[in-house]
Amino acid sequence: MKRVLFAALPVVMFATVAQADLVGKPIPIGIAVAQTSNVALLGEEEVIGARVAEKYFNAHGGVNGTPIKLIFQDTGGDEAGAINSFQNLINRDKVVGIVGPTLSQQAFSADPIADRAKVPVIGPSNTAKGIPQIGEYVGRVSAPVAVVAPNALKQVLKEHPGIKKVAVLYAQNDAFNTSESGTFQETVKKMGLQIATIQKFQTTDTDFTTQVTAVLGAKVDLAIVSGLSADGGNLVKQLRQLGYKGPIIGGNGLNTANIFPVCGQYCEGIIIAQAYSPSADPKNAINKAMVKEYRDKYKKDPPQFMAQTFTAVQVFVEALKKVEGVNKKKITQMDLAKVRVDLNKQIRTGTYLTPIGKISLDKEGEIHQENFYVAKIKMNPDNKTGRYDYVK
Amino acid sequence: MDEFFQNNGFLIVVMVQQTLLAMSLYYPLMAGQLSLASPGFYALGGYVAAIIGTVEYFSPWRDALGWGVFPLEWLIAGVMSALLAVIVGIPALRLKGIYLALATIAFVEIVRVTCLNLDITGGAIGIFGVPQLFESRWAYIWIFGPLLAVMLYFSYRLERSRVGRAFKAIREDELAADAMGINTTRYKVLSFVIGAVLAGIVGAMSAPFLNTWNARQGTFDASIAYLAYVLIGGGRSIWGPLLGGALLSALPEVLRPLKDSRLIINGLVLVFASIYLPQGLAGALGRLKLVFRRGSRPSGGGA
Repeated sequence: MKRVLFAALPVVMFATVAQADLVGKPIPIGIAVAQTSNVALLGEEEVIGARVAEKYFNAHGGVNGTPIKLIFQDTGGDEAGAINSFQNLINRDKVVGIVGPTLSQQAFSADPIADRAKVPVIGPSNTAKGIPQIGEYVGRVSAPVAVVAPNALKQVLKEHPGIKKVAVLYAQNDAFNTSESGTFQETVKKMGLQIATIQKFQTTDTDFTTQVTAVLGAKVDLAIVSGLSADGGNLVKQLRQLGYKGPIIGGNGLNTANIFPVCGQYCEGIIIAQAYSPSADPKNAINKAMVKEYRDKYKKDPPQFMAQTFTAVQVFVEALKKVEGVNKKKITQMDLAKVRVDLNKQIRTGTYLTPIGKISLDKEGEIHQENFYVAKIKMNPDNKTGRYDYVK
Repeated sequence: MDEFFQNNGFLIVVMVQQTLLAMSLYYPLMAGQLSLASPGFYALGGYVAAIIGTVEYFSPWRDALGWGVFPLEWLIAGVMSALLAVIVGIPALRLKGIYLALATIAFVEIVRVTCLNLDITGGAIGIFGVPQLFESRWAYIWIFGPLLAVMLYFSYRLERSRVGRAFKAIREDELAADAMGINTTRYKVLSFVIGAVLAGIVGAMSAPFLNTWNARQGTFDASIAYLAYVLIGGGRSIWGPLLGGALLSALPEVLRPLKDSRLIINGLVLVFASIYLPQGLAGALGRLKLVFRRGSRPSGGGA
């Protein structure tokens, strides 16, 4: 018998290597978002946001004349994929900073990798509690749910002051919706309203008879739904079909045109708080330019994740300019490791006028955003398409 | 060379890790039991490590033991998996074939939904900031690698032992094995427990490796992935899950430059492998060896 031999695993293991790399030209910035798997629904919007940003900033002179180049790595929907793409960007593509990943859970997995390698990360869509606290090099431009979500509730109370009993429904297998629903529940209690029932469902559910029956039985004046587009849309549809007449607040998961075909005519009137509005401030020139670019290509208004990813790229570009200003040297003549450290410092100084309004990042990397918005869904007569009407 | 490991180290460790998980499916299969329960125990083990690593209550342990807390986590994860496997295994293994598979899928779902609803497991967000055993991802090969070596040696010994032969006898014909005096229930549960303990330990090692742990780790999708490792690799020898796990976990990453089409290629590989390699890769290599031997023997005799 032939014996099976093991090839001994190579015993080479030097964790740290002195890097004397210069920054590449054009300046590489990594985009690690989900381009495949079920998370790609969100990730694709982020890819578009990044592409539009790359085109826009290079047309406007890049970083004091040096163009930027975005390097895309697909994270897929899981944690291992996020780590793999981060490592590729850091070691192989030698980026100055990374925009990503799409999900908060992926951020908890991959951001520590970048933090240890001293590479600045800006999360375009990580809204869970604790993201900026992962480390010194981790920041985000997506305001946490605790800040955004209550705006919708305030708006509804302004329109319907008689509301007393509230039903809260959420997809319990999704991190974002669970934490968002927690915020809604706290806010409801704080405003002196009564939570009549809390109903849980799964993002994979299609039949919501149990939940809807419970909501109808509790005779509530307001329903708050935190789910993703397919399940949340179906839930709204079944709520309306079975006779619920009151106002519905949707979470950020319903904040996408993908729900229009799901709930059709029943989408009408869903109220959603927004971290971004395409039409909020007519004086915001960068937003106007971005919206125009997007409308020309896709014939609709840009979604929030697209705008937030654009914003993340913008923060990198403007902070890179500041790095050049402070060092009085071109980025491309500087040592990569130094650029990364300086860039992280500069990201956290000053304010940025971005498509999502005036923002700044504090020392921890948490975003401070000036304005939030509230929109109501308005369906078109074909009941397959619709739009978000901004009421605030 | 060093740069190679900096870039690909994580992937190599993931390959070893997935291989170990494929092996956890292989042990019940040795006794003819199609169990898809591994992700449940994998999730359990990960939570054990993440909870011991982060919860305030255990901080005296962490301070007292230093890095020694990690082997303790593996041990506790292994023991808890074994206990749970016995409790689940005794009733579940009364089922056969596809019904057992369904019952174990249900078990994985129960673990997942339970973890989603508990406070200690962090709900849907999970547990983050899990303490690290090593700084570099690649260095984790120093725990997964030895575990793989130990498991290979264990399998090698197992297949030649009384227990291993009992497993095979049950796989070939349970009634006949019973008639020959093999306590089939005991051996079936034993095979299930071995797989569970392995999955639990791998989970406990993986929580620091992935930095975080959440309910997305042990899912039905993972069950199917592990099953694919064993089917594509081959379920008749330990080399099957080894080959299958390493190949299938590496493929999507190796194909990364192909961008969007990489998942299509990945799917094609699965389809063609299951059509043309019914015995899996290990089976095909074995056949190749036979063909090679038959071909070389006459020429050897002529010389």
